[in-house]
Amino acid sequence: MSKGQNSGGLMSSAGLVRYFDAEDRNAIRVDPKTIVATGALFGIGILVLNALAF
Amino acid sequence: MGWKDAAEPVLARMPAVARPEGHVPFRRKLGWTGGILVLYFFLTNVTLFGLDAATANDLFGQFRSILAGQQGSVLQLGIGPIVTASIVLQLLGGADLLGLDTDNNPRDQVLYQGLQKLLVGVMIVLTGAPMVFAGNFLPADQAVAASLGIGTLGVKGLIFAQIAVGGVLILFMDEIVSKWGVGSGVGLFIIAGVSQQLVGGLFSWQGLGGTSGFFPTWIGIVTGAVELPASPTDLLSTIFLGQGQLLALITTVLIFGIVVYAESVRVEIPLSHARVKGARGRFPVKLIYASVLPMILVRALQANIQFLGRILNNSWAAMPAWLGQYTSGQVTGGLFYYLAPIQSRSDWMWFLGLTSADPLDIAIRVLIDLVFMIVGGAVFAIFWVETTGMGPESTARQIQNSGMQIPGFRRNPQVIEKVMERYIPQVTVIGGALVGLLAVMANMLGTIGAVSGTGLLLTVSITYKLYEEIAEEQLMEMHPMMRNMFGSE
Repeated sequence: MSKGQNSGGLMSSAGLVRYFDAEDRNAIRVDPKTIVATGALFGIGILVLNALAF
Repeated sequence: MGWKDAAEPVLARMPAVARPEGHVPFRRKLGWTGGILVLYFFLTNVTLFGLDAATANDLFGQFRSILAGQQGSVLQLGIGPIVTASIVLQLLGGADLLGLDTDNNPRDQVLYQGLQKLLVGVMIVLTGAPMVFAGNFLPADQAVAASLGIGTLGVKGLIFAQIAVGGVLILFMDEIVSKWGVGSGVGLFIIAGVSQQLVGGLFSWQGLGGTSGFFPTWIGIVTGAVELPASPTDLLSTIFLGQGQLLALITTVLIFGIVVYAESVRVEIPLSHARVKGARGRFPVKLIYASVLPMILVRALQANIQFLGRILNNSWAAMPAWLGQYTSGQVTGGLFYYLAPIQSRSDWMWFLGLTSADPLDIAIRVLIDLVFMIVGGAVFAIFWVETTGMGPESTARQIQNSGMQIPGFRRNPQVIEKVMERYIPQVTVIGGALVGLLAVMANMLGTIGAVSGTGLLLTVSITYKLYEEIAEEQLMEMHPMMRNMFGSE
């Protein structure tokens, strides 16, 4: 801190999609693990389908 | 404010990734980022079920390195829908047509987030459907159609469903990285694709099936395994432009150098803490203030124009010649030809016989590309700064809220805003235009691994940002107090 290194802290280096802290009470919240698991299962499922078809 | 009330029930209920409760340790953040990266690479290797891969061709073409994803995989769409939705939002937000105050109003923030998701969903359908159903970009496998008994249309429906799920997955993976990891998913996926190509272009050897990379070729040249032409002109052209790829290496290194240098060029506004004496800081207004992300938007706009051309060409037999002429899938004339950006040396180096196009046509095309990128770069940079809360007003308020002030000025947001207004708008326009110019030049000169120059430009810049962010994370990890001071989390 003595070096005054606070560059970037104030600046938003947001990606293309922006997410805010605010969330609606009714919003459907998904656990990140669920998404990773879904993605992995989806990929494996299609691999299996591909293997079965040929 | 009619549309807000009408849309709120839908937009507020869009599924979202849960936020972490409290602080996520840096190691866990890296873990999430790495995990998502692994999942991304895995999914780019999953071939679409029911796709006749042999006859498929990539609608994204040379825009692939910017739009990430992988042709023929479940991540066929890459970040395309996200980018296109973002263009729409930037244009609407930049022109202030939405009437959403995302800086202060939590309800508007919720609506904005929902609108983002909804638009990405719409874009998944709008990009995916023509890809599958119009033209012949993702043809259905006849054998699968016959064995399932659902016909070609049924298989096409299955393919569409898969790429749509892939598109949604990319969106949520981006959200996980943004909320639980380091940087953003979009940036991560671009880096992943370009780096993969770059490493391939440097190291791959012919035994792997593709063309020989830079290092194996040079080992071949040095050991005499690669035959070089005898005449001096041919020799030079082979070494620089042909197999030797020296020009590509020079451009690649040059882009690295220029981007890293440009990232470090900045105007620093000194800050001091209002109460804690001796706590000083600087607010950097970087030359590339708006980052290079607006560049993705401009390139994606060009990409979408080209998609339209290719889809029209594929499904409209009587397309007039002034609109576009295509030979074997490549645009060679008409309006769409002039609007197509220069992607590599082979698009313009007529003097080396790399293209048969008329030099005058090439000059017009380069000129249009330059104008598009420079003006577009500047315009999108301005919109970007406005919509992401980096404008003079928002930064002034952020500085005020963090308890800092500009030494020698009254501690007042309006005063800080006045000072910011001297720098931010000018720097934004100059930076945006400069990045546009760089992107065009980088594309014209070509790079190692046939990564498009813009792709490399984005990658270097995003990686640099990521490095900065990691450094900042570590600083906060070491000094937990900094977290409170700068208000993140």
